[in-house]
Amino acid sequence: MEAPIAVIAEQSGGVIQPVTYEAVSFAAELGQKLDRKVQVVILGKSVGVPAKQIAEKTGTHVIAIESEQLDLYNGEVYRAAALKALETFDPSYICLPHTATGFDLAPRLASCLNASCITAVEKMRTREGNIRFIRSVFNGKLRAEMAPATAGVVLTILPGAWPPFEIHPESKGSAHIIRTDFASAASRTMKIKESEKGKLNLGDAEVIISAGRGIRNPENLHLLEQLAKIFPKSALGSSKGACDLGWLGYERQIGVTGQTVSPRLYIACGISGAVQHLSGMKGSQIIVGINSDPDASIFTVADYGIVENLETFIPTLLEEFRHFSASS
Amino acid sequence: MKLLVCVKQVPDSEAHLLINQEGSWIAHEDKTAFRMNRFDEFALEEALLIRDQNSHDEKISIDAISVGPPRVSFTLKKAMAMGVDEGIHILEDQDRYMSPFDTASLIASYAKKKGYDLILAGVMAEDDMHCLVGQFIAEILEYPCATSVIHQKIINDNEIYVEREIETGRRICLQLNLPAVLTIQSGINAPRYPSLSNVIRAKDQKIVPIDAQKLRIREKREELISLSYPEPSSKGLILDGTQREKAQALLRIMHEKSFIS
Repeated sequence: MEAPIAVIAEQSGGVIQPVTYEAVSFAAELGQKLDRKVQVVILGKSVGVPAKQIAEKTGTHVIAIESEQLDLYNGEVYRAAALKALETFDPSYICLPHTATGFDLAPRLASCLNASCITAVEKMRTREGNIRFIRSVFNGKLRAEMAPATAGVVLTILPGAWPPFEIHPESKGSAHIIRTDFASAASRTMKIKESEKGKLNLGDAEVIISAGRGIRNPENLHLLEQLAKIFPKSALGSSKGACDLGWLGYERQIGVTGQTVSPRLYIACGISGAVQHLSGMKGSQIIVGINSDPDASIFTVADYGIVENLETFIPTLLEEFRHFSASS
Repeated sequence: MKLLVCVKQVPDSEAHLLINQEGSWIAHEDKTAFRMNRFDEFALEEALLIRDQNSHDEKISIDAISVGPPRVSFTLKKAMAMGVDEGIHILEDQDRYMSPFDTASLIASYAKKKGYDLILAGVMAEDDMHCLVGQFIAEILEYPCATSVIHQKIINDNEIYVEREIETGRRICLQLNLPAVLTIQSGINAPRYPSLSNVIRAKDQKIVPIDAQKLRIREKREELISLSYPEPSSKGLILDGTQREKAQALLRIMHEKSFIS
């Protein structure tokens, strides 16, 4: 049997991030195809307890590297620590969650190991005995099938693409802790600051009307405000793109670096549907997408899609609403 | 101080995209609109701000670099019109998909021993969405690197303070020795429009062409096998009819689901 598939766990302050178990699910599926085991690596200041938790929950062997220098994420020190753990079993597949930590670390490892690097993997497929990794390109409008041209490959797994690992393991797994220190690096992580984005809890809204760059002009926001008024307990949300343009404040940003919401109704107006946005709202009960681009990837998650220019569609909708409420 | 900004030319992803016959990348038609990757615009603006804020200091020079076929020169011209001093074009004769590692090794091969203090790039390219080129350049040149940068400040001649934006908007604060590579997150600034004087200057200015074949080409890494259109969503319903009919249909649905009364 060949070297196990490696998963690099993500932890923050000794707490295992749930995306870790999604990466384990991915690795287990890959392991089934290749007849290989999964082995988990965890790095941090004090990770003995989380290492045992992962071992018990997944039935795998976990290698923990502990050092004071691993307290906060630093790409250079984490790279050295991950390499130290990986050299103990020399895996050809290394999986990380596709997070700000994962996509920072993955190419550093790939570079040191002369491996390929494929990020934000959403699916895998076997073709003629070769494993291919599928990911979104062009804001989700197209899918790319990728393959490594090297023996080794580092993969980052898109959050939400695989369910968390929940198979009850046959064995209790095992954990091995290595304490070590690392050479000083050319960068020093000092602290983590809380978000500077003002607090506006969109979680209480039952209906969220969200604006993207596709509303084209900030003056069109008043249309969205009027639309919001027809629903009780509604709020305005925004994609990162519209916040970056200064059209709405970052306190309304929904997505990876903003808020995660799951209202009863989510109306995405002029939002293309980049994965970073979708991950913050796809738990909504009903999703309506309004976009003039029929290929926009928002339509792949929308329950109801409307291909229209919202500058004319929303006024028509509001007019029809007035008729509707007058007659009912 | 010498700055290098990596700018990529990408097809406008809001336009309709067609996959080429071989399925190896998108088909470029005459009407395909290309523009500068938005994330790189933020990186470019950040370089210009560093120069603006340190104008009292020594001379700060900014070069922009791009890899690709001849059409890429338009994006370099735009960078020059926004205010960079020099445009460097690593010329690839074929119009094809290039993996992040291929692109990074060409840029790193050019930048090596050129004495750049800071190399900036967008956190990702809008077309292939890999988030890799900056980190690869840093690894090849053995420079420290910070990704997803939402704030930066040069502390002195040999250090820079940065904040990286991570999930839920939290920030990791770190200091890097120079030379360093930063990948810039969108929203860090508001990219400027080209000024008339810079547009005129850029018009006459020559772009420095570099033959990609003459740079060190490394072994292939990740490969694109094929592109495909996403499978149509099974659960979604695209409303049809006239605009008014769609509005009526949507209101009926909202009423049935008790969102409006």
